[in-house]
Amino acid sequence: MIRSRVAVGLWLIVLAVAATIIANARFSTDLSAFLPQRPTAAQQLLVDELRDGVVSKLILVSVSGAPPDVLAAASRSLAERLRADRRFVSVDNGDESQFERDRAFVFEHRYLLSPAVDADHFTVKSLRTALDDALELLGSPAGMLAKSLIPADPTGEVLRLIEGMAGTARPATHEGIWVGPDAKEALLVLQTRAPGFDIDAQEEALASIRSAFAEVRRAAGAEALELALTGPAVFAVETRATIKRDAMRFSTLATILIASLLLATFRSPRVLVLGLLPVASGAAVGVAAVALHFGEVHGITLGFGATLIGESVDYAIYLFMQTEPRRGAAGTLARIWPTLRLGVVTSICGFSAMLLSGFPGLAQLGMFSIAGIATAALVTRFVLPVLLPPDFAVTGIEPLAARVRAAFGRARILLPVLGLAVIGAIAVWIARDQRWSDELASLSPVSVAQQNLDQRLRDALGAADVRHIVVARSGSADQALALAERVGKALDTAVSHEAIGGYESPARILPSAATQMHRRDSLPEARVLRARMAEAARGTPFRAGTFEPFVDAVQQARSAPLLERESLGGTKLGIHLDALLVQRDHAWYAMLPLSGVKDVANLRRALAPLYDAQVVLLDTKSETDAIYATYRREAVSLSLLGAIAIVVLLAAAMRSPGRALKVCVPLVAAVLVTTGALLALGQTLTMFHLVGMLLVVAVGSNYSLFFDGSLGAPSDHTSLSLALANVTTVIGFGMLGFSSVPVLSAIGTTVGIGAALSLIFAAALAPRARAS
Amino acid sequence: MTSGSRRALLAGIAAAVGSFGFTARGEESTPWDLGQLMRELASVRSARARFTEKRFLRMLDRPIESSGTLAYEAPSRLEKLTLVPKRELMLVEQDKVTLETGSKPKRRVLSMSDYPALRAFVESIRSTLAGDQATLERFYKVDFGGDPDRWRLKLQPSDMKTKSFVREIRISGRRGKITGVEVDQSDGDRSVMSMVPDDS
Repeated sequence: MIRSRVAVGLWLIVLAVAATIIANARFSTDLSAFLPQRPTAAQQLLVDELRDGVVSKLILVSVSGAPPDVLAAASRSLAERLRADRRFVSVDNGDESQFERDRAFVFEHRYLLSPAVDADHFTVKSLRTALDDALELLGSPAGMLAKSLIPADPTGEVLRLIEGMAGTARPATHEGIWVGPDAKEALLVLQTRAPGFDIDAQEEALASIRSAFAEVRRAAGAEALELALTGPAVFAVETRATIKRDAMRFSTLATILIASLLLATFRSPRVLVLGLLPVASGAAVGVAAVALHFGEVHGITLGFGATLIGESVDYAIYLFMQTEPRRGAAGTLARIWPTLRLGVVTSICGFSAMLLSGFPGLAQLGMFSIAGIATAALVTRFVLPVLLPPDFAVTGIEPLAARVRAAFGRARILLPVLGLAVIGAIAVWIARDQRWSDELASLSPVSVAQQNLDQRLRDALGAADVRHIVVARSGSADQALALAERVGKALDTAVSHEAIGGYESPARILPSAATQMHRRDSLPEARVLRARMAEAARGTPFRAGTFEPFVDAVQQARSAPLLERESLGGTKLGIHLDALLVQRDHAWYAMLPLSGVKDVANLRRALAPLYDAQVVLLDTKSETDAIYATYRREAVSLSLLGAIAIVVLLAAAMRSPGRALKVCVPLVAAVLVTTGALLALGQTLTMFHLVGMLLVVAVGSNYSLFFDGSLGAPSDHTSLSLALANVTTVIGFGMLGFSSVPVLSAIGTTVGIGAALSLIFAAALAPRARAS
Repeated sequence: MTSGSRRALLAGIAAAVGSFGFTARGEESTPWDLGQLMRELASVRSARARFTEKRFLRMLDRPIESSGTLAYEAPSRLEKLTLVPKRELMLVEQDKVTLETGSKPKRRVLSMSDYPALRAFVESIRSTLAGDQATLERFYKVDFGGDPDRWRLKLQPSDMKTKSFVREIRISGRRGKITGVEVDQSDGDRSVMSMVPDDS
């Protein structure tokens, strides 16, 4: 038949195109794909920071398993190796010698850097106060350390600057090397050159840390030394690996199980292969469609692909099982296709709501499902009949089929139990306070052990609280710095109100040109300063001439050029500045991370006058959670939309609201009881459970339609086909339930439970069989 | 009588006996040496003293004087509380130095390993108090002299970094107690501290 040849040819062409697209597709596991497409300014900042901000580039390292001296030595030699590695911008392990250039920089440029410098700072009165303070310092235990600074810096600018820049608490040390509590581990903080979203580069960086560590361990002959790594890059790399591994492992397992089951039923390898054709074609076209439309395919979408096996293999099962020897595949299709088609359209209808999502991740799942299901159905309808042997029929299953049908017939007696289950589910729904998880972290497949390690290292390192960041946006770097200075003044107020503990600012490292000029202009000339100093020192024990180095330094600063980014060279401060002052899309952003935030309302009041000047207070945690909550709410409304569309569709197709309702009741009941079961199991729902529910409806609508009676009461063969389809679905998704990736396990558990319940409800609620 | 002073007494007897031409026998004859002093110091679990300190700095034409209390708890806690002219606290615990100045205290916590000079200085006193000869000798060349009632240690730093900061530290004492610390700094500044132990 020409028509069937055209169908097969078309199918092969589509597969070839899909294969080409997939071969060239980009695969990502970047969670930012699950952030909104049309974000607010704050959300955009957040996404950018998560993708390539400094926080995304930090790797925390712990070396343990040896006495403190060995750990310190290992940390030194590990740091030395990594500092020679271009992949790392900075390697910190507490070693103070790394800061010598920074100290020199601060000392040399103290009069341009110090916020205390203005014309009042060098009056006789101020200088006298400074000398009294210096004298006090000399008499104190710290005097011994600070003594050498006093002749060149009696006003204490260096100490002031270092205190302002050091800011946050510092970790404990052993032999000058950062260690955790009890010196059980040495700690290092690395910053990679590659941005956080470049997972391949991050993976390379991690590998080079591990190999450097292996060398250190070998060289030290300390086999007991252990390495632990954490940080966003570690999480990202691990997540990708876990998703890959789980998707691979569980879809392989599910495929093997389902294939064995089908082989046992059909007793023909050829038919088995044919049965998997719609599945494979569906998955391929699904991935290709996503790649084509979104430009990249997310790992989670791929993992989801595994689940399609459980769904789309059903079509082939219906076809094979219901084909009776006398009628052939074509005849069977003519009979069951309207029902099947309605099921397929119902499923597509449910998933198309997801296409409307503003979140690329959810939209990808929708696109994948629609393309996959449609393809699988079309291949079943038009390609399989051509490839099946003309006299194909599954034989030897009659006794089993009869038993299954009898079982379905008796399902009615379950009704009271099922009714109770529905009531129970509703009760659980009402009783639970927290039904939905609104934390993005609930999507993270990072293990609890790894999260604990991360928390422990962060605590030990006193790593800054990066939850709150004030971001100031401007057209040029210098304008951004000037704005950061205005923000700094507002934050100083907040600090004095104890609303926040402190903050970092790029303007502390590199003040704006205007500020530097103002400071430079307030420096008195040598003759004036010398005279004022002499007057201020009258009556103090300071010997005459002690402060000549000070007079010289100020004189020099008066004619020194203003500082620029380049002046910082390769200092740690320079690296830090690059993290706090970034250029993105022609705009410059100054980041001011806050620490010890206690009173957000007060903080907002302090910042209020600046809000119209492109200043944003970013609360990364609540912003992330807000994004996620929006995402979830959107998923709920889209799912409802999908459900309504399904009902309308069924009503229209069946030309009878009453019959449509009958088809829907088992589905609604199954979804309710599944939700109740999940909540009762202690899970909080994420939108991936919702996606699972949509799938339950998609799969379950087929059962319902077959039981609906429009084809007459299900025959033995139909009953067995339904049972088999159900078992494969439960296997396919149930497998995923064991995944450590929350997204996959959420979908897996939901559909696993939901599909089984759908069938039971459909059978139990089926119209009483008429005598056939 | 502490075991240390009994041993010192025995040593005295042994020396006296020795001078009569007998050969001292066995462990009872331990002579008064650095090890002996260190063991005696190590046997002190805690001590308190009042101190007065004078600092002679080249940039000043008269010394800065201060006084207060010192408290030591074996093996590594040392507290120096200055009361005159202003309240100031320096607390050393293991590797951590806490400095507290001002009437509404401003706290600064330093890690000694970040400040090798500070560490060398702190260890000179703390290791002496703890009778920790090994640590003392890690930082200093130790010269010992005097008798149990009037001993003195002369400490000269062994590494270059400390040398650039401290030239010599002289610690004097009586039995298990320190009575004076003099520090000569490399830049010519010096300080003299004398302690009067609170007898407990």
